[in-house]
Order: sequence, then structure tokens, then C-alpha cells
Amino acid sequence: MSKWIAFLLASCALAQDPRQIVEEVQRRNRSQSQRYEGTLTVTSAKSRVTQKRWRYERTGSFGDSKAVLRFLEPPEVKGVALLVHNHKERASDQWMWTPELQRDRRIALQDRSTRFFGTGFSFEDLEERDAGQFDYTLLGQEKLDGQMCWKLEARPRQTKRSQYTHSYLWVRQDLYVYVMVEGYKNQELLRRIAYRDYENVKGLWTARFLEVFDTKRQSRTTMKLEKLEYGLPMKDEDFTLQALRRPL
Amino acid sequence: MKLLVLLSWPYVRKHKLRMLLTLAGIMLGVAVYVGMHTANLTIQSAFQRTVDRIAGKAQLQVSAGETGFPEDVLERVQSLREVSAAAPVIEAALATPQGTLLVLGVDMTGDSSLREYDLEGGGEDVIDDPLIFLAQPDSMIVSRQFAERSGLGRGSKLTLKTMGGQKTFIVRGVMKATGLATVFGGNLAIMDIYAAQAVFGRGRLFDRIDVGLSEGVSVRKGTAKLQSLLGPGFQVEPPQSRGAHFESMARGLTISINMASLFALLIGVFIIYNSFSIAITQRRGEIGVLRALGASRGQVRRLFLLESIVLGVAGSLLGVAAGLALARGVVPGLAATLQDVFGHAVSASEITISPPLAAFSVFIGVLASLVGGYIPAHAAARVDPVKALQKGRNQVLSEGENRLRRRAAVACIATSAALIGFGNGNAYFYPGYLLGITSLILLSPSMAMWLASVMRPVLKAVWPVEGALAADSLIQAPRRTSATVTALMLSLALAVGFAGVSRGIYASLIDWMSHTLNPDLYVSPSRSITAKTFRFPASMAGELRSMEGVEEVQPVRNARVMIGGEPVMAVSLDIGAISRRVRVKPVEGDRDEMVRLASQGKGVIISDNLSLLRNLHRGGILEIPTPRGVLKLPVLGSSVDYSDQQGSFLIDSKLFQRYWGDDTANLFRIHVKKGQSREAVREAILKRWAGSHEIFVYTNEGIREYILRLTDQWFGLTYIQLAVALVVAILGIVNTLTVSISDRRRELGVLQAVGGLRNQIRRTIWLEAVSIGVVGLVMGAAAGVVMIFFNLHMLHRDLGGLRVDFVFPYAFVALMTPVVVLCSFAAALWPAESAVRASLVESLEYE
Repeated sequence: MSKWIAFLLASCALAQDPRQIVEEVQRRNRSQSQRYEGTLTVTSAKSRVTQKRWRYERTGSFGDSKAVLRFLEPPEVKGVALLVHNHKERASDQWMWTPELQRDRRIALQDRSTRFFGTGFSFEDLEERDAGQFDYTLLGQEKLDGQMCWKLEARPRQTKRSQYTHSYLWVRQDLYVYVMVEGYKNQELLRRIAYRDYENVKGLWTARFLEVFDTKRQSRTTMKLEKLEYGLPMKDEDFTLQALRRPL
Repeated sequence: MKLLVLLSWPYVRKHKLRMLLTLAGIMLGVAVYVGMHTANLTIQSAFQRTVDRIAGKAQLQVSAGETGFPEDVLERVQSLREVSAAAPVIEAALATPQGTLLVLGVDMTGDSSLREYDLEGGGEDVIDDPLIFLAQPDSMIVSRQFAERSGLGRGSKLTLKTMGGQKTFIVRGVMKATGLATVFGGNLAIMDIYAAQAVFGRGRLFDRIDVGLSEGVSVRKGTAKLQSLLGPGFQVEPPQSRGAHFESMARGLTISINMASLFALLIGVFIIYNSFSIAITQRRGEIGVLRALGASRGQVRRLFLLESIVLGVAGSLLGVAAGLALARGVVPGLAATLQDVFGHAVSASEITISPPLAAFSVFIGVLASLVGGYIPAHAAARVDPVKALQKGRNQVLSEGENRLRRRAAVACIATSAALIGFGNGNAYFYPGYLLGITSLILLSPSMAMWLASVMRPVLKAVWPVEGALAADSLIQAPRRTSATVTALMLSLALAVGFAGVSRGIYASLIDWMSHTLNPDLYVSPSRSITAKTFRFPASMAGELRSMEGVEEVQPVRNARVMIGGEPVMAVSLDIGAISRRVRVKPVEGDRDEMVRLASQGKGVIISDNLSLLRNLHRGGILEIPTPRGVLKLPVLGSSVDYSDQQGSFLIDSKLFQRYWGDDTANLFRIHVKKGQSREAVREAILKRWAGSHEIFVYTNEGIREYILRLTDQWFGLTYIQLAVALVVAILGIVNTLTVSISDRRRELGVLQAVGGLRNQIRRTIWLEAVSIGVVGLVMGAAAGVVMIFFNLHMLHRDLGGLRVDFVFPYAFVALMTPVVVLCSFAAALWPAESAVRASLVESLEYE
């Protein structure tokens, strides 16, 4: 019994340390590799709808991983790819490949705040945010979508170059997953990302539906994850610029 | 002011035509000044406005002259913490049926942080899809104005000429007609920079990088950081500096505009002088009465000065209005000339009105009027009331006065010769120039009288009565005659001076072209060989060499690089190969040695004008900033080269490629095998690249014609000013004759009364007018020799250091002779008719 009490006290202490909450989120979400096909739907303020499909592959540990995102549809963008090399200590490196031009281009660090090809995401949002690059504050607890969540504030450390001065994170207390993330520049809300339809895939709770609201453009981007797989064997050489240039 | 209303106004009302002619003299002088300066200002402002709007929020721009630089420079710039945004840019101008279209190649992933793409529909979403825009190299965004002019909308196809021949683009976005989209008269298109590299043959080079600085970083600090990171091969400057470079390129034009405008005003001064002298002659009685009633000399002087001010203000205001209209007409031609000569496209749909320029123009118009009116006003103040009624005496120049003028002229000539001969620099040259012109003006009365005396026997021999009367009228009224003759002399001297320089330039250009431009064919990626929009890939040289009938292909790459903050044309070619075909004419240095060393990359051959402008001579070192660092090369010698007004240097292509990482070509010089048809090779080249590359193949004669046409365009603007100057001078003749008739009404009436026929009177006046024209022409031609001398000096010193041989424009003077004679004759028609139709009784009662 005393062991149980000691465990509960330790859990409470752990739960109330914001950094440890985020680290726990990352730990629980850890996989050596991931693949899915996403359907991306962008609805503009004027209700104009565009849709794209991509395949996403990731290898390596969280915060130090490499990922390739290849567009599959529509035909005009088929083969366009984005290569992301995440780093624990600094911002990621990102390159884009356009097969029609047979050219790759580096996405400059200064350009990470720009929109990711007309979607509600910015290039920065595609990075994995290692807990070490932020300072966290626990703001309290809130119920969101019927679930009890911790509300945290994340502020980028000096070494981290970010468009957001701070972000609010809502973490589900039962699953240690994000329910919502809001990115702010000073007092202005830039972007809100909501995570829904959590499903346990090979022991990892994964949101199958994401919704991004771009407050500046009043546009809504949704992403549906399909064919989600974890732990597939992937080779490092498939996550290089040379590999990016290979035809789909 | 009271006197002005009481005395001057009735006189003006009585002599409306003369007043209008005088007013026209000032108006035209001011109009030329305002018109040409406004046109120049409009072009400069349009260029700067385009630069500013394109630059958007960019605080700095990184460039390497016109050569461009490799892509890796971008990452280096982006690595600086002081840089918040760095966007590469390619700028190109394409000819379309709707006018020149400015195409900006930008990287849309990050460019919006520097430039506002205000798109139709209110957001980025109206680019059909930003990802498709980037993924498809045929994507283009166009401005609303261009879309409307071309009947385009989103999804429309737009066919443009590119390096790869005619290419169809898809309009994937339309920008609102505000901000960025208004540059270049709204003829703007945006495309992805990497697609632009392919379309414009840029290889893997960028034209420039636009830089936004991080918060709290000053422009000065940002410049220093970037300059130290990139080295001296790059220019890191605020966008405004591009306007200054453009201005410096067009400096030659500005100087010629200034000179011609000032001459137009100077001619105006003589018209005013003439007009006032005449007025005072006619109003001597009035002045005498005024003086007898107690008016002081100062009051009389002030009255006439006030008249000249009023006339100056009115003429200047009219001149400003006429000048703005003139500018509207001149701007398109000026823009086209600058585009053709310098390869910089400028679009100016509206003229830029500068209130300070307008105010200054009114000021100098009034000043000119005051200067012109001063001597007559002074003379009016000195009128002796007793002699006031003795008509005719005032027109006589005393021998003492003449002697004084001649002495002053000799002193001016001596000082001018000393300043120009022994002085060094503009501080000596321009005062010398001014004194030279002053001496001509001082000598003109004596010369005019002498020439009139010389002409008298000739005129008398042909027309015994009319000839003698006409010549005597000129000789007996030297003030009236000499002012008109001086005005005519100055305008003709100006015209002869310019014609001489232009003939000299043509002769020198033809000589230069005959030994430099000797290939059979020239292959250019643009219709204009100075345009820098397209470049050929290096591989095309090999393909051309393999063609039947082609003996030799010489690729040429020329681009301006910044040396000491000023652009200089780098001409990169295989010097060894070229020298086998071209006999370089050295001004300094041994031909064979400089060619041998230059072909080994051991130095550069500079143009004669660069040598003069930079005081660089054989053995000196030319420090050339390049993207790979500063290239210090010895000057091996200089040669006559008219490639660029700001100087040029020949550099071996291997060295250029190594330091600039650029192996593209602007032009191919092609020699055809002996016995092969040049036309057949030309046709074969055009056929070979039809549909894949946009190319223009010029024959040797074609390229020479092209260069001479450019020179014509350049001088075309000057001709407008010359024409106005001549019109002003002709007005002077009309004015003089009108007065001459009024002055001699009684004399002419007596002539008629004693049996003189109307035709005799007419002929007398015609002969008088033609004689003024002939005297002015002879003196103008003589003064033109002096003008050519000064102009050539000026050209050599300040307008590009060009060494041009002295050529007297005989053909021009021969052409001008009937023009001046006919114009003088035409100017006499109305006064002659007025004289013969005047009432005999009134004429005899005159005085």
C-alpha cells in the first residue's frame, strides 16, 4: 500500500512538472519509423477548397529524425517532395524537390514562418519540437473535447529561432497526447492546431485527424491520416537529397 | 508700377506681334530646358520607383554588377543572424505586343516576407495553388493591368519568347493594380526563380539578393556585416543606389541636355536683348519726354528692367507649360534610347513634374530676360532728352564701343586659351569654354558689320538699288543687326558643334567597327544586342562550330561590373582567337605583347576612355571585384574601344569563367568558311534553333547598321533641341525685320513716293533678311568650328573619355544653307507685305 501511495505521489509530482509532461508526451509517441498517407484539404476564407495527398515517411528518434513528404496528388504536384532533417539542438534543415524543374531548393531558416505551400501549416510546424528547445510553464488544467487536459505555455529558448513568441499546448491527462496547440506572436494568435480521432496503432496513440486554423487568412486546413504504420524498416539513404531526386 | 501701366502697357498693345515673338523666344528657351530636364527626371524617377517598389521591404541588395553570382551565396547571406529575410531575384524584360513586360523571378517560399503580393481576391489563395505554382515551371502571376491589356485571367495561357523559343505560360494568379503591380506601367509578371533561371538562360546564377534585416539591426551594420562576409566582389547597397548607378550611366545624356538647354536660353537672351533694344529705339521720344518731365535715370532703368521681368515671368510660365508638353512627347523616345544603349528597361507612363525644377526654370527664364534687358535698360537710362528725337542715331555703334568689344574679345580669347592650354581639370576647362563663347559674342557685331560690308558690293552688283539699300540698312543699324546675327550665330554654332561631334563619332565608330567588327555573322539571344535578359548556354558554341560552313565561333560575354563604385563593362572573350582576326589599335602599349599576355590571363587591355576616366595607364593595376574575390590584373595597354561610355576592359574568357563562375554568352561572333554563302549559314543557324531558342542572326552590315542606328537614336534627342534653338533664332530674324520696317517706315514711304515700286521695296526687305541669314550662317559656321573643338574636349573629358577626331560637318552646313536662307526669306514675307501695304501718307507722316 505504501508503495502505491509513494507511486501516486511521484506521479502527481511528475504530472505537474511541465517539462516532464512534454517529455512524457514525446516518450509515449516515440517510434523508430513512421509512414502514412495523408489527405490534405484546404478551405480558404472564401470557401475555395483544394485537396492534395501525400506520403509521409519518418525514421530516427524524436527530435533527431529525418522525414520525407512526397506529394501524390493532384497530378501537377506529383513527385514534389520535402526533406526534413530534425536536430535536437537547432532548427531543422529542409529542402524541397520539384521534379518538373529537376531542382532542389533549400528552405531557408528565415522562411520557416511562411506557409507550407498554401496550407495552414508553416514550414516550422513540420519540425519536431524537442522539449529541450523550449521553456515550459504549467498554466492549469482545462477540459477540452470532454477530456481533462493540462494547459502549458511553451516559450522558445534563445537558441531556437521561431515565428512564435509563445505557444499554448493542451495535453490530455489520460493519454499524454496533444489535443490542441495555439501559436502566438506576442498577443496575436497565428495558428491553432487541433488533434482529433486518437487511435492506438501498435501501442502509440495517434491523432488520425488534424485541423489547422490560420487566423490571418481565416483558412482551414484538415489532414486525415491513412495507411498509418509504425516500426517499418527504413534506410537512412532514403532520406537524402540524392534519394529525393529519384522518380516516384 | 504706375509707369508700367501708363507707358509700357500701351506700347505692348500696339506691338502685340513683336511682344509675342519676344515672349516666344523666352518661352522656347525655357520650354527646352524644362522639357528635356523633365524627360530625364521622369526616366530617372521611373527607374527609381520601379527599383523601390520591386525592392519592397528589402533594406539592402546584394549584387555583383550585371554578372550575377552562384546560388551558394544565398545560403551565406541567410546564415547571418543580422538577416531576417533574404530572397534571390532574377529580373528580365520581355518584349510583348502590350509593350515591355518586366518579369521578376523570385522564390515564392520566402519572398512574401519582403514583397507584398497583393493578389486579386484578397489572399494568397487566389494563386490557384501555391504548390502547383512552384511545381510547374510554366506558372506566372501577372498584374491586373497587364492581364486586362492582354485579355488574360486566371488559368489563361500566355505565350512569350524565351531562351527556349516561344513558351506558353499559365496565369496562376493576378495581382491587384496596387503597390508592386504598378511598377513598369503595370506590365509586371512574377515567376518562380528556378524556372526563370531556365527561361532566361541564367544557369545556376542569381541576379541579386534582396535582404531584410533583423529587428534592431541598422542598415549600416547590416551592410558592414554582409560586406565583410561576402568580400569586395559584391555590392551591398540600399535599393536607392541602383537609381544612382543608372543616373551615372546616363550622365552623358544629362550633360548634353544641360549644354543644349543652356544654349537655348542663351539664344533667348539675345532675342530679348534685340527686342528691348528695338523697343528703346522706338520709344526714345517717350523716354526723352519722361526724362524732361523729371524722371530719373534710375526710374527709366527700373521701368525697362521691370518690363523685362514681367516678360520673363510670362514667357517662363508659358515655357514651363510647353516644356511639360514637350517632355510628354520626348519620354518614350528617351526611354527607348536608354533601353537600347544601356540595356536597362524603363517604363514611364506619366511624366514627373518637379516643382523645384519648374521654379528654377522660371527663375532662369526671368534671369535670362533680365540679362537680355539690362544693356537696353541701361541705354534707355542714358538717353539724352535733347537727342531723343534724332531718330537712327541710337542704332549706331561708336568706334570706341567697337574697339572696347574687340579688346575684351581678345582678352577673353587669350584667357580662354591659357586656361584650356595650361590648366588641368574642369575648374579651368569650363571657365575657358565660357570665355571662348563670350569672345565670339563680343566679336559678333564687328564681324557682322564687316561681313555686311563685304556683301554690299555683291548685292549692289546684282540688284543695284535693292541690294545697296538692304546692305546699308544692316550696316547703319548695327545694334539691331548684330543681336539677331548673334542669336542666329549661336544657334548655328550649337547645331554645327553637335553635327561636328556626331560626324566625328560616326567617323570614329565606322573606323573602329571596320577593324573590330569583322565577323560575317553575329548571333544574339535578343533583338537588342545590349539587352541582358537572355544569355546563351556555353554548349551552344560547340553546336555552332559543328555546323556546315562555319569556320570559327567566338563567344562573347559582356557585363558591367562595379569598379570603384562605378559600372565598367567587362568584355570576356578568347583574346588569342580574336586577335588572329582583329587588329587591336593600341593607344598605349605594344599590340603583340598585350594580346599575348592578355590571352594568357596575365592582364587586361583597357579602353582608351577607361584609361582617361580612371587615370589608369599601362603598368597600372586594375582591381576588379569578382564573386571569388578581388582580381588584381596589370593593365597591359589601352586601345580605342567604344563598347561603353563608362569604359571597358578585355579579359580572357577562361579567367572570367574562373572568377565569375559564368560561362554563358551574350553574343557569338561567327566567321564563315571561304566560298560558303553567308546567307546560307545564317539561314541554317536560324533553322537549327527555330522553336528551341529565340535567336537573332545579324550580318556584319546588319550589326554595323544597328550600332549606327543606336547612335542616331542618341543624337535624335539633341536634334530636337537644335531645332528649337533654330526656331528661336528665326523668331529673332522676324522680330528684327518687323522693327526694321517700323523704323524705316518713312524711308520706305519716301522711296515709294519718289517712284519706288512695291516689288523693289519687297526685294529690299527680302534681301535684308536673307543677308542677315547669310551673315549669321557664315559666322555660325565659323563659331561652329570653335564649338566642335570645345565639344570634343568635353566628350573626351566628361562624356565617357571618348577620343573622337575633328570632322567639320560640311554636308550639314551645306544642308543648313538653303534652310537658313529660306527661313530668313520666309521671315521677311510678312514684314515686306506689311511695308508695301502701309498707307503712303501715314508712312510719310511717321516720326
